[in-house]
Amino acid sequence: MLKANGINKRYGHQIVLQQASLEVKSEIKALIGINGSGKSTFLKIVAGIVEPDEGQVVINERDVSSLPPELRHVGYVPQHPALFKHLTVKDNVLYGLRKEAKVDYMKVVEMLDIKDVLHKRPHELSGGYKSRASLARALVPQPQILLMDEPLTGMDVVLKERILPDFRRVLKELQVPVLYITHDPKEAELLADSYAIIDNGKIHSVNTSIEAFDIIHNSILQAYSC
Amino acid sequence: MNKNIIKIFFIPLFFLLIVFPILALIFNLSVDGIQATMVDPFFWDSVKNTMLAALLAAGMAVVVAVGFAYYHLFHPESLVYKVANLFNDLPIALPHTVAGLALLLAFGRKTFGFLGETGAAFTLFVVILAMFFVSYSLAARTLVSGVDNMEPEVIDVARTLGDNTVQVYFKIVLPLMREAIFSGFVLGFSRSLSEFAAVIMFGGNMPGRTQVLASYVFTKVEVGDLDMAVTAAVFCVALSFLIVSVLSIRRPKYAES
Ligand SMILES: Nc1ncnc2c1ncn2[C@@H]1O[C@H](COP(=O)(O)OP(=O)(O)O)[C@@H](O)[C@H]1O
Ligand SMILES: [Mg+2]
Repeated sequence: MLKANGINKRYGHQIVLQQASLEVKSEIKALIGINGSGKSTFLKIVAGIVEPDEGQVVINERDVSSLPPELRHVGYVPQHPALFKHLTVKDNVLYGLRKEAKVDYMKVVEMLDIKDVLHKRPHELSGGYKSRASLARALVPQPQILLMDEPLTGMDVVLKERILPDFRRVLKELQVPVLYITHDPKEAELLADSYAIIDNGKIHSVNTSIEAFDIIHNSILQAYSC
Repeated sequence: MNKNIIKIFFIPLFFLLIVFPILALIFNLSVDGIQATMVDPFFWDSVKNTMLAALLAAGMAVVVAVGFAYYHLFHPESLVYKVANLFNDLPIALPHTVAGLALLLAFGRKTFGFLGETGAAFTLFVVILAMFFVSYSLAARTLVSGVDNMEPEVIDVARTLGDNTVQVYFKIVLPLMREAIFSGFVLGFSRSLSEFAAVIMFGGNMPGRTQVLASYVFTKVEVGDLDMAVTAAVFCVALSFLIVSVLSIRRPKYAES
């Protein structure tokens, strides 16, 4: 469970987030917005990677606003798989497990179908498998919320349509709350339970991905009509 | 414009000013000079001193540069970083006689008099310090550019997986920067090999003790043993070629993503 309240963030004179608030319950929530709307910034603030100017982040009733990323128990799947190139896939996947933790990581590995590539190095994997490994790495330490920042960017549509339902099945089975960021309402539809849009530094909930699509559509038109 | 314009100025100038002097050294090699040098124990001492001091200086340079690159990556707003950054490039523009004088005053009789008449000066140990002083900035620059070329998300992910900044630095950043660390070491090593002014002002030029290849060549020219100077000089050229080729053979292995 995630609650972000009244997040403000500016870079120099540019206001990126203005009183942005969002709640993620036990659900997969897609946050949709056009490029440059501040999606990544918002997600990095939740993860503790970027410091907000103002605002509060609460995860499972715990105010984590002043904690560094390593104490927040969030999973992070960035835009590029960002695998650790000097480690095998297995060591990547196990990276978040501290010694005392005994977690059955094979469940995640099998669900994401990466068992056969565990011994490989990241550069030997195809794009799809890199994304799977990146997701597995974030899931294995059992985060309290999973943050995904357009993890399938650059992947072709056919592959996306195959991999997203897979991801959804895994995330549902593990019952992890997810904040999934995308600029593509169609992608959101394949994965999410609920939708929110980010526009002009604010976040609004919407009921359907179609509604999200309309709002995004209009704001793109607005942005490019002078 | 004449499409050969680049060729016309580059080729003659490059060969006249860079290649020709090196060839001049090689053509002046003589059998007598080589024989005399090969049996001169002071020559071999200077080779040994040079290699040993340069290796240690380059090692120290990389270790300190690893510290600097950490501040560059995680605490660029800190006072430590700002001050270190200010001093960092100073040795590059500083005449190396000035560096030698600075070191002499810092570690000489006044402050380190308890070690003897001249403080720490005129020992092989301070030859290493002098080499370190002039080669550190190169190592630091190389490591900083290595850090800057890293994908920031890799660090962010490791943080969310439980690493604090020091853990992620040692477990992720440094292993991924192996190439930069190696280049920093080799650059620091070659800069150390070539150092003359700071070494001679601080460490002296004592055959068998603090004499390095650069000062050996200088001494041989000064006393008129030109043949021996040429031999030692060609030895230096060969050494430099070796280093340059080591650097160019080991190109990025982790370039693919
Ligand atoms: N570190 C930064 N410094 C300055 N401006 C930034 C920085 N990060 C992001 N921005 C700016 O903030 C805005 C939002 O960026 P981002 O959150 O990456 O958008 P999105 O992920 O929705 O594409 C963009 O205009 C971007 O240029
Ligand atoms: Mg983004």
